[in-house]
Parts: sequence; structure tokens; C-alpha cells
Amino acid sequence: MKTARISWAVMAGFAITLSASIASAQLNSGAQTIALNANLAESLSVTLSANTVNFALSAGSATNAGSAGITATTAWTLAPGRNSVGVYAYFASAAAALTDGAGDSIPSSAFFISDNGGASTALTNTVAYGAANAGLKLATVPITAANRSGNRTDAMTFNINLTGGTLPQLPANTYTGTLNIQAQATP
Amino acid sequence: MTIQTKFGAIATLMLVAMFATPARAQVRNSGASPIALNAVLSDSITLTLSGNAVNFNLTGGSANNPGSTGITATTFWVLRPSVGSLKLYAFFSSSTAALSDGAGHNIPSADFQISDNGGAFAALTNTVPFGGANAGLQVSSVRILGNNKTGTNSDLMNFNINLAPLPNLPAGLYTGTLTIQAQAF
Repeated sequence: MKTARISWAVMAGFAITLSASIASAQLNSGAQTIALNANLAESLSVTLSANTVNFALSAGSATNAGSAGITATTAWTLAPGRNSVGVYAYFASAAAALTDGAGDSIPSSAFFISDNGGASTALTNTVAYGAANAGLKLATVPITAANRSGNRTDAMTFNINLTGGTLPQLPANTYTGTLNIQAQATP
Repeated sequence: MTIQTKFGAIATLMLVAMFATPARAQVRNSGASPIALNAVLSDSITLTLSGNAVNFNLTGGSANNPGSTGITATTFWVLRPSVGSLKLYAFFSSSTAALSDGAGHNIPSADFQISDNGGAFAALTNTVPFGGANAGLQVSSVRILGNNKTGTNSDLMNFNINLAPLPNLPAGLYTGTLTIQAQAF
């Protein structure tokens, strides 16, 4: 019994000595620091799958579909505090969305967009961009902590309705115009 | 030999002894006085960095966001014979908030990567002798042998922030402090 105690005492002493020896053998340099600055800038972009749509119009017809749909891809990285992203389509003029340059025009109220297979809607609203009564809000994306960086797609198809007002009397010609797609993050 | 001859010889010897004895008595030796010499070559590790700031222009959700510059860590050491290795560590004080915008949004150390001397990028996910748990990386290790008790080592570190695991990180300025430190053991 006594021998066992002595053995334990010797082993403990050896362990302490070993630990002390190891601790004293450790040597550290001074700590050198590197300052890190990482900037994640806010961004909001819209990319279109194409930039041209043609229409073969039929006089007085409600259905004059565009030659192709266009997909708008909106991508964002936003700062805390932003709570919404809106995607808008608009013209610079409500009265003359498309014009023949000779005083004959197709108003924005006759221009329709269907977004992602939804109902076709005329551009008759006043939105964040463009002229009064010449726009349409295509989509609203609520922004939360879960989607401060994200994207969405809007597949748009187009139609021109030539049945309203004086449009059934629209003279034959080439009508051109520019539809703009733009996104806005708020607040 | 006559008695006179013997007497003469003895007298000669006495004369020789008489002159010889005073000659030996002129040498005086002091006691030896020792001087203890103690020369201490202290062990030391010196670490210097070629720069102290790195900037990142982040792209949301991107795995590749390299630092604006690499930084070379030069380690110089004088070590005792008992030392077996010298290791260089990089670490943050926190694994969850290596960089932060100060508004509760963080980049964890697991998404901060270092490439040492052109090697593969490695995230700071290990627990090392310094810094926070799971917030470090052993950058390099030098085996200390008989011929390099004194030596130097250079580690060219390049940096990257991987935002692929953080697709919803909000825009902002994220700052942090990466610390480099060496240890001999």
C-alpha cells in the first residue's frame, strides 16, 4: 500500500515536472494584425433576354400579339432597411407610346403586357418612372433578411389592342416606340 | 681522494646551492582567480508583415472575392535546442463574426480563406493556440533541426472571401481584424 502511494507520488511529480518543462519550452512571437475591409455594395440590375419586339397589326383588332416574349431578370443586393423591390414597365408618353412620326400614335393604354402568364394589363398607371398614366408595375418583391440578395424573372408577352377610341381608324404605317423596364428598391 | 679534496667538493656544492636557492625564491605565483563567463543568446521569434490592410470588393453570393493584395509574413527565430517546430497561425477572435457590419450581420471565419505560398485556399475553421475556437488556421510549419535553430521563413498569404454560403448577406461595409502569430514548441 505504502509502495503504491509512493509510486503515485513519483508519477505525479514527474507529470508536473514534464508539464512545466513543456510550458517553458513554448515561445510565441508578437501578434501582428491585418485590418480587413470588405465592401458589399448595393446593386440592382435588370437584364432583358432580348431588346426588340415586332407586331404585325390588324386594323381594329384587339389581338395583335408581339413576335416574341421577353424575360426580365432582376437581380439585387440590398442594404438593411430596404423592404421592397418593384419592377416597372413604362413609356415616356401616355398619348404616344408608339408613333408613325406623322402625328398618328398608339397610346400606352392600348399596349398590354402579360407577366408570367397573368392577365394582360394596359400601361395606364403613373409609376416611379416614365410619363403620367404611361406605366405598369409588373411585380413587387418584399425584401426581408432572407432575400437581401436575390433575383426574380418576369416573362413578359405583349399585345396591342386597336379597338379603343379612334384606333380602329389608325392609318397604315410603321409605328415605333420604346418600352422601358426598370426596377426600384425602396425605401 | 684526500680529505682536503672532499672538503673542497662539498664547499663547491654548498656554494652552488647557495646561489641557486635565491634564484628560485624570486618567482612568486598568485592564486588563480577565475572569471565566470555567461553569454546568453536569448530565444526569440520575430514576426513582420509586409502590409497591414486588405480590402475586398464583394459580389453578393460569389465564391470568389479576392483581397486587394497579398501579405507576406516573415518569421525570424533564434531557438533553444529543445524546440522541435515553429508554426505560423492566422486567426480571428471570433469564428461567427470574423468581419461584421456592426449591425448584426457577419461574415464567419469559415468563409474567410487564405492561400499560403500559392497553395490551396483554406478556411479558418480550426482551433489553434490563439484566437477563438474554430477561428484559426495553421498557415505553415517549420521543423527545427540542428541546422536551423536560427532561421527565417516567408509566407505569402493571399486572401479570399467566399460568399456562396451567404447569399443573403446585406450590402454594407464589413470590417475585421486578422491576426498572425508564430509559436515555437
